[in-house]
Amino acid sequence: MGKLDDLQQKRLTIEQGGGADKIKKQHDSGKKTARERLAMLFDEDSFVEIDAFVTHRSNEFNMPNTVAPGEGVVTGYGTVDGRLVYAYAQDFTVIGGSLGEMHAAKICKVMDMAMKMGAPIVGINDSGGARIQEGIDALKGFGDIFYRNTLASGVIPQISIILGPCAGGAVYSPAICDFIYMVDKTSQMFITGPSVVKSVTGEDVTFEELGGANTHATQSGVAGVMCQNEEECFAQVKNLLSYLPANNLEMSPVYDCEDDLNRLSETLTTIVPEDANKAYDMKNVIKEVVDNGEFVEIFENYAKNIITGFARMNGATIGIIANQPKFMAGSLDCDSSDKGARFVRFCDGFNIPLVTFTDVPGYLPGVTQEHNGIIRHGAKLLYAFSEATVPKINVIVRKAYGGAYIAMNSKHLGADMVFAWPSAEIAVMGPDGAANIIFKKDIANAADPISTRAEKIQEYTEKFANPYVAASRGYVDDVIEPDSTRPRIISALEMLMSKRETRPSKKHGNIPL
Amino acid sequence: MRKFIINVNGNSYEVEVEEVGAPGAPVPTAAPKAAPAPKAAPKAAPAAKAAPPAGAANVTAPMPGNIVSVKVNVGDTVKSGDVLCVLEAMKMENEIMAPKDGKVVAVSVSQGSTVSTGDVLVSLG
Repeated sequence: MGKLDDLQQKRLTIEQGGGADKIKKQHDSGKKTARERLAMLFDEDSFVEIDAFVTHRSNEFNMPNTVAPGEGVVTGYGTVDGRLVYAYAQDFTVIGGSLGEMHAAKICKVMDMAMKMGAPIVGINDSGGARIQEGIDALKGFGDIFYRNTLASGVIPQISIILGPCAGGAVYSPAICDFIYMVDKTSQMFITGPSVVKSVTGEDVTFEELGGANTHATQSGVAGVMCQNEEECFAQVKNLLSYLPANNLEMSPVYDCEDDLNRLSETLTTIVPEDANKAYDMKNVIKEVVDNGEFVEIFENYAKNIITGFARMNGATIGIIANQPKFMAGSLDCDSSDKGARFVRFCDGFNIPLVTFTDVPGYLPGVTQEHNGIIRHGAKLLYAFSEATVPKINVIVRKAYGGAYIAMNSKHLGADMVFAWPSAEIAVMGPDGAANIIFKKDIANAADPISTRAEKIQEYTEKFANPYVAASRGYVDDVIEPDSTRPRIISALEMLMSKRETRPSKKHGNIPL
Repeated sequence: MRKFIINVNGNSYEVEVEEVGAPGAPVPTAAPKAAPAPKAAPKAAPAAKAAPPAGAANVTAPMPGNIVSVKVNVGDTVKSGDVLCVLEAMKMENEIMAPKDGKVVAVSVSQGSTVSTGDVLVSLG
């Protein structure tokens, strides 16, 4: 056999992964193979594999006789919509995709390349966990990956896709990444599985309940996006990548905008109910304002009282943070503060302008919230907005009360343009509570305390529950007609393109975690 | 028969009270025009909540507040996103929606109920 044939034979063996039987098993369980997944991610025929010939060097147990084609992970680079992206995909058909020293070394190499070239990295996780036979060398492998995840954080976008088990230490690489995608009934993430949970705490729980996609997308806030199947998942990841810059020194790609920049939206004029106690869907406001109504939501089903996601205006990416009056009155609680703050920091790290839509009655009161640390969590949102130096635009749609008014991208935290709709109520607290305090004596001494109280509430409402007090101080730059929100934001974004803001040099701040 | 004058919100009401079933209670003579009895006492606390049925998916209160209306009855079939009840909290009427399709197997609150975070509102089978 010639040397060329020999090469081709070797490569063919590696491309077969764990072999036909294992591949069939993978398919039978409703999952794609590592190579099929990479083919879904990248532009056709653009994927270039590296390190295919890497093998493990473990001599313990049965490892010397164990053949692991590709070391259980396929790594390389290619293009997504013509843009350079790095990726690795763990191969469950090769000793369960387990992570050993050389498996980790392959991942580290593409991570290093991604950082050096300044391109996003997508990690596809499908692994039984650490390769126990390799002992502490496997742990070293995990550590090397976490370390690189951390160095790359804020330098290149890091996306993790979980398409199978991801258990134990393995979860912390995705956890440090910017976005985690999971597929319903396919993905699982947990520190310890149901059997360990049972033996330690006595709790009975299924894999799905403990760490399925639904659990992480709705309760734990680990998974930013949950998809129904792998095809949908890759389509969504590719769509997300189209919104992101390649690295922290670049701007997001700008696309041709077919939506009229000066489009007025009549819908916005009537979208806020007359009655301040009635809710509406803030997503309808967002979709009316952005290009073509296209909004890519992150954490759609977690902490639904705040909305986070990407959209475009005049063809360029913006990050949107909005209160959702439809859920928990749009109040800020521990989870929504965390969700909002993390999103703000991502956008700031990657030069994505921030646009907020504010309708917040306040931070959520209650024993549960206080004991869960609303002080600490709520502080993150304030910190994140203050820290952000990207263009910051705030549209106050309705309520903006108290500390939550400050936290939601207010002028005081450095917002560049604050617009308010005529329906805005910007005040230190709601009329009911304020009247009770300010007019306490008047109410107590009145012949008819009930009607006096009602009068005082009315008085306060007329005086303060509007945008004009804030506008008179310059805390609101302009009160605008709701239908002109889109052109006003676009014009502000254009004006802010050259924004430069310097901060005291420091190693890094100490965000209250 | 005893007579009271009760002041509520500045309005004065004359109320006659008779102890029912007391031995030798005098038969009431035609009472003078009864003043509208104001609802002075808050209504009795709702009966102890029945334990939600095992195996049902419980929809719980996301924050403390008052139930201003209940939109479903036991036995109703609901679709994901249907409004189950309205919780007034943070000065907002919050619609509590069904997280999934199902049948209402228990309604643990009624109009006027005060709930805390995590209290079961409706159970879906």
